[in-house]
Amino acid sequence: MRIAVCIKQVPDTKSVKMDPTTGTVVRKGVQSIVNPLDLYALETALQMKETYGAETVAVSMGPPQAIEAVKEAIAMGIDGGALISDRAFAGSDTWATAYILAAAIKQLGHFDLIICGERATDGDTGQIGPEIAAELDMPTVTYVNKLIAAEAKAVKVSRLVEDGAEEVAMELPGVLTVVKEVGEPRLPTLRGKLKAKSTEITSMALKDLELNTSYIGLKGSPTRVVKIFQPKVVRECRKVYAENEGMVEEAVEQLVGFLKSREVLAS
Amino acid sequence: MVKQYEYNQVTSLIADELRKIVGEKYVIYRDEEKLEPFSRDEIPGTKYRHMPEAVVRPATAQEIAAIMKIANREKIPVTPRGAGSGLSGGAVPTHGGIVVSVDRMNRILELDTENMMITVEPGVVSNEINEYLKEYDLFYAGYPMSLETCFIGGNVAENAGGGKAVKYGVTSRYVLGLEVVTPTGEIVEMGGKLIKDVTGYNLVQLMVGSEGTLGFFSKIVLKLTPLPKAQADLLCLFNTIEDAVELVPKIMTQTGITPTSMEFMDRNSVKAACDYLNESLPYEKCGAMLLLTFDGPTREQVEHDYELVGKFIEKHGAQEIYVADNPATTERVWKIRRNIGEAYNIFSSRQSGEDLVVPPAEIPAMLENLQQTAADFGVMAPCFGHAGDGNIHARIVCPPEWSDEKWEKTLPQILEKVYADVSARGGRLSGEHGIGHKRKKYMGHFVSQEYLNLLRGIKLAFDPENIMNPGKIFDL
Repeated sequence: MRIAVCIKQVPDTKSVKMDPTTGTVVRKGVQSIVNPLDLYALETALQMKETYGAETVAVSMGPPQAIEAVKEAIAMGIDGGALISDRAFAGSDTWATAYILAAAIKQLGHFDLIICGERATDGDTGQIGPEIAAELDMPTVTYVNKLIAAEAKAVKVSRLVEDGAEEVAMELPGVLTVVKEVGEPRLPTLRGKLKAKSTEITSMALKDLELNTSYIGLKGSPTRVVKIFQPKVVRECRKVYAENEGMVEEAVEQLVGFLKSREVLAS
Repeated sequence: MVKQYEYNQVTSLIADELRKIVGEKYVIYRDEEKLEPFSRDEIPGTKYRHMPEAVVRPATAQEIAAIMKIANREKIPVTPRGAGSGLSGGAVPTHGGIVVSVDRMNRILELDTENMMITVEPGVVSNEINEYLKEYDLFYAGYPMSLETCFIGGNVAENAGGGKAVKYGVTSRYVLGLEVVTPTGEIVEMGGKLIKDVTGYNLVQLMVGSEGTLGFFSKIVLKLTPLPKAQADLLCLFNTIEDAVELVPKIMTQTGITPTSMEFMDRNSVKAACDYLNESLPYEKCGAMLLLTFDGPTREQVEHDYELVGKFIEKHGAQEIYVADNPATTERVWKIRRNIGEAYNIFSSRQSGEDLVVPPAEIPAMLENLQQTAADFGVMAPCFGHAGDGNIHARIVCPPEWSDEKWEKTLPQILEKVYADVSARGGRLSGEHGIGHKRKKYMGHFVSQEYLNLLRGIKLAFDPENIMNPGKIFDL
């Protein structure tokens, strides 16, 4: 089995500060890390490798320094890595990024499984995984919390849904996005670090990929960021009290009346 | 024989005098609720607490001097207090009297980048010094583990150590000058912005670690160090405690590299912290861990150092070595070390925190003896700490089924045995937490009567009425 894991290098959100006047991230002195939620994708791939045997490849798109993220993945136990980097890709939204990543994955040969994190902690969209699946015309299962079984042509997984979990079988090749419950990511080892140092990372630029240039970068991105702001959540709290046991009925009636007036309950 | 000193109480007239010095709102008097937080430090339990009669919060050296004049005149004991994050009772007013809190004296007075020195007041939070220095690419290297809460004044008073002592040493290495308010109310300059200074006795170093018994520090001149640009940690897992600790002295002598810190954690400590944090490291099969930190001017340098040391450790039987070289992984490995204490506080409040220190090469034998003693008495003794500098924090934890009576009776017997062994190895009672009144009665195990007499002579030269933090370290 061959598994590709998509990872992203993000600023360490714990040390990120916002410039209050421009509303942008102050990058000075902020270190970069592997997107914390992608670590669970790496962990899933490594568990599969241990249980079923697999060749694992970490794939990242980003500036040249994102090679550190790929090397960190190898230090954790991933077999190989590819960095997709080109100035022409800068400013790509999730749609354009998925388009580029899909092209790169195709270029890297056949994969039975592609695993992504739930979302990145900087953009927070959670769209890349399903979008890659769409680009590659593969099935996808999102919010996977447990890998139950894997065969040559299918995997059986559990995925979290709002009121519990469901078990799903998916044909391979396919795409999974995973959540924290898959298991705590392992730490990189010294052996892994030394291996990462000597492992050659496949480098891919625009010229290496079959891409329509009108679909990439800022210009090729259909998403337009009009304004970034912190949404204000307006919640009000209303408490209805019953002074004593005899007044419970009355309090309930008050509450029901209130909920009806707000159309929470049908009147 | 212990000489008994008679002290007087803080009367309402004296309280009025104190108010005149510092202002009405900076005196707490006859208000149990507001006085109570000043009755304790961070020793768990209530055994070592004592209420003050008044709390005064001065803003200047002159105000402290005026308070001390009154205290001398009236023979009222005075206890200095920083953040109250101590672990030996140094800031606890064991004789009542006045607590003088320096929390309002919290200004950074001067940064002298040319000399790489900073002058601060005692109430500055130690971590704030480093936050302030970041943009100048400098740092103050003598900080302890509780850096986010403790005050620099307390660090100097206790000669605080901490995780980075292997490479950077302890607080005393960085204190160059002090403005001291003596117990008799004089303001005296000691040392200054000088790397070398043999003009008379080295009173600066006498004051460092004096646990508030010789005077207040109203100004502190600290030496600074260029800020290391890169850092990485190795978390090393070993089969047994012996495998881990025996390697500690060898790491430096055989690789020629001095890590910034070398922290030791035994299996019980790691398990408690990992359970507490929900951390799933494969610790079940490991007997002990070492956490090593490396820092340096470049990433390449740090990488070179940790690879060399890592390979050495691997060759000498480590089960596994993890590398943390970014904020996310660094936080994850250090969290384990930092939460051991907290994890045990939840497990049992009946425990004794020891701060044993021996010559670094004695650590393996000392730990073996400690584990044997714990086993003989049927208690747990998780050990962790700064193995690289010979300082181990052992907790003697009471088994849950023991009665309080049995615990109170057995603990001194355990400590006697442990201290006898530590002393025989050339060790001492406390490496960085201090003696205070908590460990005072064990001083005799570690130092001679002649040594104690010298301490008494020094104390009386500074404080003839014995009003400054009396009853700490030793009795007169």
